[in-house]
Amino acid sequence: MADLLQFVVAGLAQGGAYALIAIGFVSIFAVSGVINLAQGEFAALAGLCAISAAGAGLPLLPALLVAVAVVAAVAIAIERLAIRPVRRMTTLTSIILTLGVSTALKAVMLLIWGPQGHTLRAFPGSDLTVAGVSIRAQELWILAACALVGGAVWWFYERTLHGKALRACSEQPVAARLIGISLTKASLVSFGIAGVTGAVAGVVTSPIYSSSWEIGLTLGLKGFVAATLGGLLSVRGAILGGILLGVLENLVAGYVATGLRDAVAFVVLIAILLARPGGLVKHTEARV
Amino acid sequence: MFETRGLRSGYDNLEVLRGVDLSLAEGELVALLGANGAGKTTLLRTVSGLLRPFGGTVRLDGRDIGGLPAEKVAAAGLAHVPENRLVFPSLTVTDNLALGAWTRPRTRAEDIERMLDLFPRLRQRLGQPAGTLSGGEQQMLAIARGLMARPKVLVLDEPSLGLAPKVVGDIFAALARLRHELTILLVEQNARAAFKVADRVLVMDRGKIVMSGTPEELADDAQIKQAYLGGGF
Repeated sequence: MADLLQFVVAGLAQGGAYALIAIGFVSIFAVSGVINLAQGEFAALAGLCAISAAGAGLPLLPALLVAVAVVAAVAIAIERLAIRPVRRMTTLTSIILTLGVSTALKAVMLLIWGPQGHTLRAFPGSDLTVAGVSIRAQELWILAACALVGGAVWWFYERTLHGKALRACSEQPVAARLIGISLTKASLVSFGIAGVTGAVAGVVTSPIYSSSWEIGLTLGLKGFVAATLGGLLSVRGAILGGILLGVLENLVAGYVATGLRDAVAFVVLIAILLARPGGLVKHTEARV
Repeated sequence: MFETRGLRSGYDNLEVLRGVDLSLAEGELVALLGANGAGKTTLLRTVSGLLRPFGGTVRLDGRDIGGLPAEKVAAAGLAHVPENRLVFPSLTVTDNLALGAWTRPRTRAEDIERMLDLFPRLRQRLGQPAGTLSGGEQQMLAIARGLMARPKVLVLDEPSLGLAPKVVGDIFAALARLRHELTILLVEQNARAAFKVADRVLVMDRGKIVMSGTPEELADDAQIKQAYLGGGF
């Protein structure tokens, strides 16, 4: 029983990180149909930026803010330079295009930070043991970040007029333009959101999972699977998908074999695409 | 007030509009008739910026708006209520209306109230997702959403399409109330209904305006009777 709880707790934290990455996929895909394969690189870049900023003497919170700002700016630059100029964007085009962007980002990170992994110093707080289950303080930070950022994104889409305008672009792009909402601005904002959520995920996970130029691939793929679990169009679905995937991975790693951990995501992806291509969440007309 | 000169447009290599000249005076309600494929929807899509003209001009209040992207045309004061309504299905009626005022947020609350006076049926639906409304209510919402921007020109594409006669009556009654408040270009298959509210009727055929006159004049035209009104008008 303690084992089970232990795996679930570890899974929740990891799932929280996947959820944040998944929100980035959903935010972009819903508005423009673009699958942004550089999403995982946002997390890697943010982790490395935060490590450098902290290394330069900044306290953790300012270091996190610097990393988020840098990555949001990079995300917006990618939208302007690589996405917007394409005249007829299809999902397939976007996959090839952002794969290129992702490779370029990886190369830049490799040049700046070198091939080895780096670890951000842990956030404050001491680890605790509850009912025989040990919980690392950092895991609580990850969950808190997921709740805070995920909640903020959800609130933005559900409660603010600007968020609703993005949903309008996603549901009826033609009608959105006819009432004066610019799809190009909407796409820019969606990249900004994806940059922020990806960056937060990268910074809060860095103390446990470490950051390097190449972690974006796995993180991005896991986030993509989580987003697909949620149907790729729903923030709520992405959060649930991320948590579910994280827990499932840790249960498989704990009870079956540690080596199978990374296989879980892909088995899940194949199963989902075969059985419920629309995602696990019941499909309504609601998007984002 | 609103005019096009020699407007040519279409899709890729297919030219649909082959030189459209039309001119609407301030406060005029003009109905545009024509067979399927005559280019009515293409004309609306071109003046509202969804399609880029191949040539010719579109002027609104003396300003050249031809070739501007749709969101800029909307901000310039032309509201296009598209065919099939295209309401935002997961958003509530209130949110759909609120977004209609995207280009002029300051008058939002006041204008939502005005729209509910114009279409009282929407009042009971305010908190409901627009996707759950009936076709007629969605059409009312689409028109109201367009009006929320306080446009100078409203262009409507087939507002009666697929609706029950009672609802069509309500919608045309609302249009009649809007008459002379703003300039309206109405594309309509339901010629009888259109003739009753229009100041002037234009007929389009194969990408050009081929006839123009008051409803009374055109109602007497044998060809028009035959093609659009049927017997016994």
